[in-house]
Amino acid sequence: MVNYGGDEVSALVVDIGTSSIRAGYAGDDTPKAIIPTSYGYKSKNSDGDVSMTEGEDGEAKKKDVKLFLGQHGPSIWRDQMEIGNPVRDGLIHDFVPIAPLISHALEDVMRCSAAEHPVLVTEPAWNTTANRERMAEIMFEEFQVPAFYIANTGVLNAFAAGKGSALVIDVGETMASITPVVDGFVLRKGLVSSTLPQLVHANAKHILTTHTAVRRGIDLYPHQLVASKTPVEPHALPRFTLREDRVSGTTESWKKWYEANEVDEWIQSVAGVLDQGWNDQVAASRSPKQYEFPTGYNAYFGPERFAVGEQFFSHSRELAATNPNLPKSIPQLISESLRACDPDLRQVLMGNVVLTGGGSLFAGFSERLSNELGRNFPHVKIHAPGNSAERRYGGWLGGSILASLGTFHQLWISKEEWQEHGKAIVGQRCK
Amino acid sequence: MAASAADVRSILSLPSSSSAGTQPHPKKPTAPSTRKPDGISRELFALIGPSAPSIAAQLAKPRLKQKPNFGGGGKVKWEFRSFKNSARSDGLELGHWVKASTDPNAEYPFVKYNVQPTEYTYSQDEYTRFLEDNEWSKEETDYLFKIVKEYDSRWYVIHDRYNYPEGTARTLEDLKDRYYSVCRKLVRNLPWAGDDASKTSLLASFQFDKEREMTRKKYVASLESRTPEQISEEEALYVEIKRLEQNERRFKRERDELLRTLLGVDSGLPEIVGMVDDEGPMGGSMDNGKKRRRGTLDSPMTPSNVISLGPPMPRRAQSAKSAVVLTDALHCIIRTDPPPATTTATKAAHQPVHLRSFKLPIPKATIAPKISQALSELGVSHARLVMPTRENSVQLESLLDATSALVEIKKVVDRVDQDIRVLKARLGRRASEGVDADADADPDADAEGEADAEGETNTGSGTGAPTPMNVDEGGDGEGDNGRAHSVVSTRSGRSRKQTRRSLSVSSIDTSASVSTRGGRKRQRRT
Repeated sequence: MVNYGGDEVSALVVDIGTSSIRAGYAGDDTPKAIIPTSYGYKSKNSDGDVSMTEGEDGEAKKKDVKLFLGQHGPSIWRDQMEIGNPVRDGLIHDFVPIAPLISHALEDVMRCSAAEHPVLVTEPAWNTTANRERMAEIMFEEFQVPAFYIANTGVLNAFAAGKGSALVIDVGETMASITPVVDGFVLRKGLVSSTLPQLVHANAKHILTTHTAVRRGIDLYPHQLVASKTPVEPHALPRFTLREDRVSGTTESWKKWYEANEVDEWIQSVAGVLDQGWNDQVAASRSPKQYEFPTGYNAYFGPERFAVGEQFFSHSRELAATNPNLPKSIPQLISESLRACDPDLRQVLMGNVVLTGGGSLFAGFSERLSNELGRNFPHVKIHAPGNSAERRYGGWLGGSILASLGTFHQLWISKEEWQEHGKAIVGQRCK
Repeated sequence: MAASAADVRSILSLPSSSSAGTQPHPKKPTAPSTRKPDGISRELFALIGPSAPSIAAQLAKPRLKQKPNFGGGGKVKWEFRSFKNSARSDGLELGHWVKASTDPNAEYPFVKYNVQPTEYTYSQDEYTRFLEDNEWSKEETDYLFKIVKEYDSRWYVIHDRYNYPEGTARTLEDLKDRYYSVCRKLVRNLPWAGDDASKTSLLASFQFDKEREMTRKKYVASLESRTPEQISEEEALYVEIKRLEQNERRFKRERDELLRTLLGVDSGLPEIVGMVDDEGPMGGSMDNGKKRRRGTLDSPMTPSNVISLGPPMPRRAQSAKSAVVLTDALHCIIRTDPPPATTTATKAAHQPVHLRSFKLPIPKATIAPKISQALSELGVSHARLVMPTRENSVQLESLLDATSALVEIKKVVDRVDQDIRVLKARLGRRASEGVDADADADPDADAEGEADAEGETNTGSGTGAPTPMNVDEGGDGEGDNGRAHSVVSTRSGRSRKQTRRSLSVSSIDTSASVSTRGGRKRQRRT
């Protein structure tokens, strides 16, 4: 038992991301419960009336809304259902649905009670003190957990890669961040993050929906709204019928959600990035990929699919000229992060680059990154797990490792300590 | 053992018919059962019988690795126990599964990893007595010690989190310097419980040279900020120095070889070799072009001088003389010296009895044709001695030695001549380019001195106005080169002065410099 340093106390690990919430037992290698962070809600009293908006008071919302969570939550069409997401730019900005989401993951999916297990929750490196204290409050007051800890995703990703010191490049659903980790601590001065994935997503959506000379803008209807379709030739106009009964009851936020989903699907199956910088000829020489949308429209996508991924590494000149404050590209972020670090550390960090996050599974991303880094630094070693679950849930996996270590159990904030010291203990313990 | 009829019967399970079979039958099973040794199989014993070799007795049963014991044949009892972690200050009880056999009251096994580093504290009084510092207030020092303890002396993290309100910005070196200096002072000034050795070693562990660290960090930073061009240049230089080193080594080897063939290894040669060693630019340090040039210019001259000084004869003569000591005149047997004591008496070192004529020296293959050519010029055939007496063979040996020495010296002389010619040509080229090459050149070597003077004149003309006259002058100087060395060297002092003057006077003074040049020309022609 002591040999490998593990001592499992059946702790739970909860990792809240923008796209999904991961929960599972510490010591496992994959989370037991993975549910979407987006949730559907419907106000009970005002049927057919779009009264619930994003800015409304949370307390009022909590009383008279019905939440639809988990796998059968947002993805099922419901009349007048709105879609919300409590996470914005990696941070939780709306704590109202957090407790129901966690309890759905733990109680409905995992069938366990949080009151019987110590719980480790993750937070992004740029989390605010108020946020982490609120999280502790929820866990202690609402879930009655015996012990709680909140750990940094950057550190956990480094642990998941088996490293104490690392430069963690985390590309998520909405945020890309570079976190220098030394001896299990985040160097806050070197921490940088940007909304780069949002730009990539917006760019992809723009490519798909705008009318061009070769193609009309594509309708991003989801399969839930398509009643029937007939196969058509590539690049031909789609022939499909919408479910008119549903179209009228579809809310704006659900439309936004499904369009984002369709764009994501397209990115994941078609988009890529060239491994040696942008080159028109190379992009044209790659074989185009076919993709069919739920409407039946299908097309071959050529160089434009590489233009999407290029946004991660460099911005085109016209885009940079029109938008003065574009999010920084990955190489810019890395050099900015390294500049803030001690010169002695740079070599160590570049030898321990950890690539993680679902966004890093973008086709060709790790090859391009290693090329970019190899050009500027003499000794670079990139750790990028080939297993996609490990890449997507690196933060959870690191939490699973940490919470099952025997030496870690002295760090838990116990309920007793919470009652004695209050919120201040969170900042003292979870450094 | 051949199978008997009884055996066949028993194999086929036939009843034993004859009375003859009854007698051996009861005997047989008993014999193997009593005699069969341990480590031998029944079938094998049946084949080889009691005449088994004695070694079979030692065949023990093969010892396999012991089967792992998984806790008593899968009957381990586990139970879920709650435990208290004594590294915690509160009473949190967590639960885990443990073997029921473990002691429930044992200390939590991971507590021993919770090691606290030694903490250094000081009182207000101690602070005022030892630790006052203009840069640091007591409050900030307190803060520093608190944060160092909090982060267990992880300095990068400490520097990252260091945030003292209304404090000046501190570098990592500032923090380390302050912390370590305070610790040093505390250890030095406070009463020490242990012995002196532990105190000094502790003090040594708190040594911190801030200046050095900062310089080092600056170097690291500058190493990183190199441009790709600089890096490639550095690599090229590195390859270059490796190549030079290799050349130097090859040159040294050749020279050693030469010295060995010409002189043997005695008569002060080790010193020369050592000297050359020191001189050679092999330290791995970057040499500027000048030193490198001088190194290659000087080194060929050193051995050639020595060679001319040292006569190649004495060693051979000496050895020949000492060999005469043991002579059996009666039987015409000459006992040569036993090999020197340093070589061990191995078979290879042993010199068997031999005919003198077999031991005639054979010149080195590379210079053999030249030697035979030289000897044939003298009318001597060295291939075969008509009468190989001792004296004759010694004579021939010394003749061959002398000839080969002569050939080698000729080679070296040719090479040095060639070097001098090349270097002179290079100097001339440099001088005509108008580079003031001799400002700090070394004037002690003769060839260089001359070259300097040559460079001087050309430089002098170069700094003057580029008149057609000037071109003539340059050509003239080169023409003079060979025949009037002495003139050049006497002239060198003055021409140097003139150069200085014409340099300082600037280009208006061209007519004057032209006129002086005319004067010089006249002088040279005398």
